[in-house]
Amino acid sequence: MRALAAVALALLLGLLGLGVSGIFPRPGVPGGEEVAEAWGAKNVVATIVLGVRLWDTLFEILVYAMTIAGVKLGLRRLRWEEPLPPVAETPLLRRSADLLLGPAAVFALYVASSGHLGPGGGFPAGAILGTALLLLALAKGVERLSAELREPTLEWAEYGSIVVILALAGALLLLGRRGTAYFIAANLLIAVEVAIGAWVVLHRFALSRGEV
Amino acid sequence: MEGLAGAALAIALVGLGLWTLIVRRNLIWKLLGLNVGASGAVLFLVSLAHRPGARPPIAGLGPGPSADPLPHALVLTAIVIDFATLALALVYVIFLTESRRTQDVRRLEREEGEWPERLGGSR
Amino acid sequence: MAGTLRREPVTAAVAGVLLYLALGVAGLLGAGRGTGLLAILGGWASLLLWAPGFPLGTLGGPPWGVALAGDTLAVGFWALAPLVHAAAWWHERHRSTTFHGLVTLLVGTCLATVLSRDLFNLFILLDLGSLLGAILIAYDLRSRPVWAGLRYLLLSALGMLVYLLGLGLVYGELGTLSLVQIAELAPGLAPPALGVGASLLVVGTAVKAGVFLIGFWLPEAYRLAPVGVVTLLAGLAGKMGIVALARLSEALPVGPAVAALGVITGFGGLVYALWERDLMRFLAYHILSQYGYMLVGFGLGGPAFAGAVYYTIAHCLFKGLLFYAGGSGIEAVGVREIPHLAGRLPRAAGWGLALGTWSIAGLPPLAGFVAKEFLGGLVPSPYAWALTLLGVGTAASFSKILPLLHPARGHGAWGGVLFLGMGVVGFSAWGLASLPGVLSPATWGKALAAVVAGYGLFLLVRRVRVPLPKVELDHISLAVLVAAGLLAVAHLLVG
Repeated sequence: MRALAAVALALLLGLLGLGVSGIFPRPGVPGGEEVAEAWGAKNVVATIVLGVRLWDTLFEILVYAMTIAGVKLGLRRLRWEEPLPPVAETPLLRRSADLLLGPAAVFALYVASSGHLGPGGGFPAGAILGTALLLLALAKGVERLSAELREPTLEWAEYGSIVVILALAGALLLLGRRGTAYFIAANLLIAVEVAIGAWVVLHRFALSRGEV
Repeated sequence: MEGLAGAALAIALVGLGLWTLIVRRNLIWKLLGLNVGASGAVLFLVSLAHRPGARPPIAGLGPGPSADPLPHALVLTAIVIDFATLALALVYVIFLTESRRTQDVRRLEREEGEWPERLGGSR
Repeated sequence: MAGTLRREPVTAAVAGVLLYLALGVAGLLGAGRGTGLLAILGGWASLLLWAPGFPLGTLGGPPWGVALAGDTLAVGFWALAPLVHAAAWWHERHRSTTFHGLVTLLVGTCLATVLSRDLFNLFILLDLGSLLGAILIAYDLRSRPVWAGLRYLLLSALGMLVYLLGLGLVYGELGTLSLVQIAELAPGLAPPALGVGASLLVVGTAVKAGVFLIGFWLPEAYRLAPVGVVTLLAGLAGKMGIVALARLSEALPVGPAVAALGVITGFGGLVYALWERDLMRFLAYHILSQYGYMLVGFGLGGPAFAGAVYYTIAHCLFKGLLFYAGGSGIEAVGVREIPHLAGRLPRAAGWGLALGTWSIAGLPPLAGFVAKEFLGGLVPSPYAWALTLLGVGTAASFSKILPLLHPARGHGAWGGVLFLGMGVVGFSAWGLASLPGVLSPATWGKALAAVVAGYGLFLLVRRVRVPLPKVELDHISLAVLVAAGLLAVAHLLVG
């Protein structure tokens, strides 16, 4: 089995190498700047993600949302009856997490709302915000924070932003609306969705952490 | 030549990931292998965007050739999909660990008959 | 470009998909099971607005927009999807609104998949489909279905990794993702990047589709999924990999590879089905064997493509019916083995199985017969012989469930049988009316002879017992790599 796997893998990698060797150096691409400016943005990648290939991005957002739904469904039967062992907590960690949360949120907001101009966008912003929440959870204890952040509200915000994105996409694809305001709105909505999703997934995993 | 070097590194990562996926019996190792392989595929796409001496694909950064923006956009999606698959698979691994007390693929594949549900008890 | 888009039928199709997705998300939010019904109505309404189909439209505009087109295959699936959804909805009507939201999203994803003409769009849609499929297969959180769902997830992730590498190679060589442009730019597979890339694309999609050996997640997953889910998978969502393979063989010169894959999966699935005793697994092995017809038709292309489209839609209807009837019967009786089920099924399950069995065995004048004759007349000689042999084998292995067709007690779950049975009957009638060639006595005689030959083969086969090797996860993953490598070598040698 191992020998066969080694042979097959070597063959496949060799073929990949053969294929790759023919395609470099890559030819130049016609500038996408005109397309980006026609859409009211500067970042060509953001134009592709949120504008030209919005049809892909919609399903990407749904993939993300479905993961969250799947994680919730998959872990619904795993519940501790005894209280969980608390995560170690130090005043230093708690204090610094409280201090850092504000700047992290502001930075996420900045990354989301300037995504059409430079590097950034909704997905990184959501990841930043979600990581900040996780940091806070580490400091304050997952249980305490999840009691403070009410889950049904979060769920509404998350799926609500997906529905708004779908509606925006409909307007964009069918009516032809475009412009800078659209990019900012879409990035902010995606950031909300990604941040809530990251929080829900990580906190579910933390809640069912088992015997550490 | 950076593009070709990136692609070569990507292929090496794919090989490493696939080898782990096939040879290891533990589900967590398999997922790790799968994710390393997927990172290789992502790196491969990124290296396709490379142009010699190119600048980032953002308007107003001056003259000269621009890197291919399309692979960057694709990579964003591919990363989300990898994350999604990994998270969902980990949930099911947690479930199987709790209910079957094993992460060994061979044992999971070869246990015949009814599988009693062991959830409950301490949970 | 956006201004012109408004008047095109592509707008209606896009709006239909968006409506389906929005209703699915609303269902997840707790808006109730009725969202599924609304989506079914919306889907059909949207189809009415673009029913004759539409030529290529690029969503988002050049140079990177997503190509969409509504051909016969897409129209057929759009007509079929709400019907299968209705059957699944009816059977699972007591489940939570979350479940129905997920089902609605899965159907919406399938509706988008059949329209897509873009490599990366297909990648995302297939991935979303298999994520939703895995969640729904494992929905009840029993250990075995969870393991089946996880296997599906692992193998489809491996398939999609292979697919992504192939996509990178093809994009690197041709600089485009649109399958229409690829068809214009790639007359042959001579450049190594194209030969290897196309092979990886085909193998990755085939894993997702569940063809023999490299996609062997399928039997366990279909055996263990809830009844509504397996109806949906067999009748609609599981065919998305086949649709993607059809799109690939339209655009890239990989037709012979796809057709060869079809012959392999046809006979491989058949061999496993001949000696299988578990009803659901038996039906699942037969999906693999029926993939043979579709892939041969799609791979050969030209006139055979139309035959494969017809066969695929007919197959979705009667296979959905078989799984629905078998699954609901097993739910009612509580045992899975075919010998133990004989004479104990409720009436609806018995009738549904009967209609599905006659149809899949190719008994005139049902949809399976029409589809087999139509497709068989369009493919060249060696393939036509293979398909005839496959038909005889199908009849042989389905002879085994003849004792199940005497229903015993109770009404059983009528709703889905009614929906899908009407679909089968209506499609048969439409096929007979639109294809007058199949009405000749010679074709009827040939089809009946195949069924009788199949029954004779069954009498021979049931005396012997062949121990077939059990296929494990590691074997399948290894087979994926071997298949990708061999196919790429073959393409390089030919190109």
